[in-house]
Amino acid sequence: MLVAALLSIPPAASAVGNPEDVVRQVTDEVIAVLKQKQLPREQRQSQILAIVEHRVDFDTVSKLVLARHWKTLNEDQQRRFTQEFKEHLAVTYGQNVDSYHDQKVEIIGARDEARGDKTVQTHVAREGQKPFQVDYRVRQIGDEWKIIDVIVEGVSLVANFRSQFQQIMASGGIDQLLKLLHEKNVKGEAAPGAPGLKSPAK
Amino acid sequence: MKRAALATIFLAALAGGVHAGTAAPYAADPDPPEHPGDYDPLERVNRGTFWVNDHFDVYLLEPVAKAWDWIAPDPLQRSISHFFQNVRFPVVFANDLFQGKPREAGIDVARFVINTTVGVAGFMDPAEKWWGLEPHVEDFGQTLGRWGSPAGAYLVIPILGPSNVRDAFGLAGDYPLTIVPFFVDQYILWGARVAEGVNERSLYLQQVRDAKEAALDYYSFVRNAYHQRRVALINDSRVEAKPQNEQDLYFFDNPQD
Repeated sequence: MLVAALLSIPPAASAVGNPEDVVRQVTDEVIAVLKQKQLPREQRQSQILAIVEHRVDFDTVSKLVLARHWKTLNEDQQRRFTQEFKEHLAVTYGQNVDSYHDQKVEIIGARDEARGDKTVQTHVAREGQKPFQVDYRVRQIGDEWKIIDVIVEGVSLVANFRSQFQQIMASGGIDQLLKLLHEKNVKGEAAPGAPGLKSPAK
Repeated sequence: MKRAALATIFLAALAGGVHAGTAAPYAADPDPPEHPGDYDPLERVNRGTFWVNDHFDVYLLEPVAKAWDWIAPDPLQRSISHFFQNVRFPVVFANDLFQGKPREAGIDVARFVINTTVGVAGFMDPAEKWWGLEPHVEDFGQTLGRWGSPAGAYLVIPILGPSNVRDAFGLAGDYPLTIVPFFVDQYILWGARVAEGVNERSLYLQQVRDAKEAALDYYSFVRNAYHQRRVALINDSRVEAKPQNEQDLYFFDNPQD
């Protein structure tokens, strides 16, 4: 599932063009990096991060996941949130670069969305296993198609993060959210691995 | 893989941990739920059950599943999974019919016949492998959703994990359709359920670890993922099916903000 998200990550491409081509390029580039298993892990991670940074519009994604809370943040908080959130995605998904097992990505269609957005649908298949669906919501920003959401088997990451952040904002506000993100990022960078069990809710 | 993804979410939820940073009381949440999947009036109880389920998973189910994963070769794990999937045939078939899907119902009959015979009592899936007959994921919760029932309040069921009022009724509705041979001792049936649970869990070790890693508030991560996944299943992931709250989700400059 997370490999799917990884495969979602886009490369550098030119011109507005066709959103399907953009997703095609993105997945091809990411797979090309993942296949180079002889490269050190960190190098693969940083290459993928570069592809992602170019192809995902993190400013838009940050606004979408915070929704109405976004406007309540001051500029500094917005900047910090965008940075920490991007890092969170890079750290958690970057840990999966070793779990690539020759998955193939096939573009199965695209549909028009409101206000000129598009959704490009793909199947990610691993030899001998059933494919699963990964959709990319893309939006034209400037003169490029940028990815603004990844939907894995019907589960939108934007909607999912929004739900989590809503919860955290309601209980501890933006300071709590930034703190959580930061702690998780520091921990993830220091020692990738399974997180320990947290204490129960009261 | 549909089923696998559902199981992932299911198990992720079963494995539900509550994030320390968000352990504060939520009762006084001034914000109305923004997403239909976040309707959770029983949150306090649910969080408690979630915590218990997570401990059950971390200290018992996951270690056993890990051991099983280490002992058993992958094809055996998949075979066992196929076996239990095949046994679910009456449930899937009935719900195909309830939802007015004769074509799917026919395919599921063919799958059952082929896999029970050629597929050696369901341990293999030649129906898909050789005839390209893909399995369907149906249950009475989806049927109710198809009939227009709303999800209702989110529920965390002990051991079983995330659900909601509609899907809990669905579980009850499917129960009589489960194959329960009268001549088999009850303890063996329970044993089979445990075996199924352990085996399924062993197929999703990495996914659950990843989910816990990626989540900032694991409880709401699971709650939301469960809801979204159920909506996708009810719509059979049709190409034209759109994520809920489309307008609200992707355009933050909405006038109603």
